[in-house]
Amino acid sequence: MAYLLQHLLTEAAARRPQRPAVASGGSELSYSELDRQSTKVARALLRRGVEPGDRVAILVSKSATAVIGLYGALKAGACYVPLDTKAPAERLGYVVRDCAAAVIIADDSTAAQAAVLADGVPGSRGVLLPSAPEVADELDEPFDEDRAIETDLAYILYTSGSTGTPKGVMISHRNSLTFVEWAAAAARLTEQDRVCSPAPLHFDLSVFDVFASCRADACMAVLPDGTATFPVSIARWMESAQISVWYSVPSVLTLLACYGGLPNFDLSHLHTVIFAGEVFPPKYLAKLMAELPNARYLNWYGPTETNVCTAFEISADGADDATPAPIGKACANTEVFAVATDGSRVSEPGEEGELYARGPSLMQGYWGQPAKTHEVLVVNPFQASRDELVYRTGDLVTLDPDGNYVYIGRRDSMVKIRGYRVELGEVETALYRHPGIKEAAVLPVSDELLGSRLRAVITANQGSDLTRENVMDHCRQWLPGYMVPDVIDFREALPRTSTGKVDRAGLARE
Amino acid sequence: METVINDYVSRELVQDQALLPLADDTSLLETGVLDSLSLLRLVVFLEERFRIGVGDADLLPDNFASVNAICAYVRAREAQKQEATHG
Repeated sequence: MAYLLQHLLTEAAARRPQRPAVASGGSELSYSELDRQSTKVARALLRRGVEPGDRVAILVSKSATAVIGLYGALKAGACYVPLDTKAPAERLGYVVRDCAAAVIIADDSTAAQAAVLADGVPGSRGVLLPSAPEVADELDEPFDEDRAIETDLAYILYTSGSTGTPKGVMISHRNSLTFVEWAAAAARLTEQDRVCSPAPLHFDLSVFDVFASCRADACMAVLPDGTATFPVSIARWMESAQISVWYSVPSVLTLLACYGGLPNFDLSHLHTVIFAGEVFPPKYLAKLMAELPNARYLNWYGPTETNVCTAFEISADGADDATPAPIGKACANTEVFAVATDGSRVSEPGEEGELYARGPSLMQGYWGQPAKTHEVLVVNPFQASRDELVYRTGDLVTLDPDGNYVYIGRRDSMVKIRGYRVELGEVETALYRHPGIKEAAVLPVSDELLGSRLRAVITANQGSDLTRENVMDHCRQWLPGYMVPDVIDFREALPRTSTGKVDRAGLARE
Repeated sequence: METVINDYVSRELVQDQALLPLADDTSLLETGVLDSLSLLRLVVFLEERFRIGVGDADLLPDNFASVNAICAYVRAREAQKQEATHG
């Protein structure tokens, strides 16, 4: 029985050793090779002194090397922390110090940067390259991989935090496996499948292609770097790589539907298209379904803290170009419910409330932030005597007549930019670090094709010589690209409401 | 045309100021200037400024690799438009 994520790999390697596990950069890595090489990485980590429960950061973009590294960390009993290879040094430095990364796994292209990051972590045991001789020289023999139990952490995913620094969502083996088991069945994965998600490893969508593929002995195919810029290039690659299951944020699929030239390609292998992370604009979903009529379309919903907790399959005749698809009903082994403002449980179509989730897929909390954890993992309002914790999503939903939940919006100031969560407060905090900025307000601007973009409204301190360029430059030192505002408006003063707060609603209406 | 396009790319799309001033043969792909988002903004600009239509099939790395490549592409589209009008 698989109760640790690495059991998925050892089982797949025993069942189908020669099947491809990862297709990346023009070559394929078999399950037996992945199993062998990740065991060597685990041995090398233990030799460095990594102990069960330690954090091992991964500074490698999605690739065979990254997958070898993360399984190596798991087999060593550690929990891995995938880093955004495109994030600025300041942010990466914060993450590796916050989680006290024992070792940073890198590749040739990131080794120098990883060394600098490791220097900033007290007690660091350095940088490990899976391609290094010290790994190749490790014993090539079976090894005791059960150095953890299912409630131990498997990985920590850092996501935007409203108070200005990222927060680490702690996911245990059981949390992840609950999702993985359900997802492999829901997507009907088999060993014939070639599964692609363009999401990077620090984004939770990638849990699907990394682990659910392995659960089904399928192949995880990595979209080559740079391909994502050109929708036609994505479509051409999907054809040549014979992708059968695709999982991404809707904005990538919108670009494919509008600019991918899909009718020119043979995408007959593609049987399942899954999207999550934000609302798919209905007219583009209808266009995609018209161009690729033979695939199943699944809308999955769930914040990183819950993995996926609801799902909805869009029927072929159900693509309505005006109404967004519902987020659906709870996944297996999960329950969701919505609580109205009066504390009652939403039960009738049209009633609104905040969505809560319960089940074994819920995170363990935010790394090192118990107060923040207790804001969202709360006693079940309908099971108070059991002291059971449930997750408050912060998402407002309603019910449709078929009992499906329908997403309405947020109850706080989090927005989604191309599927990434962005806390407006984190962007504002970064802006306030600039000595020339007196006041800043960040707002989402809706964008027809891509969902949302960010607009910053700024007032400058007297005598400072602010330009759009130096504000953006400053943001890039602190924030990943998707959090950097596209539009910078300079003002003499920010508009205020009668209570003296920044008038965000007024700015949004401009 | 090189100046117009270089100005637009430098002003609106380049985020890493170390790339400025931008040479007309600098790769916009390797430097990360173009991603799926900035590519679409550039396409809208080219369509409006040069009154050309950019089709799906033209959204290829070869046509957008550098300022020079973009100019060559726009000139080819303009020539096609002329032929369509006069031919």
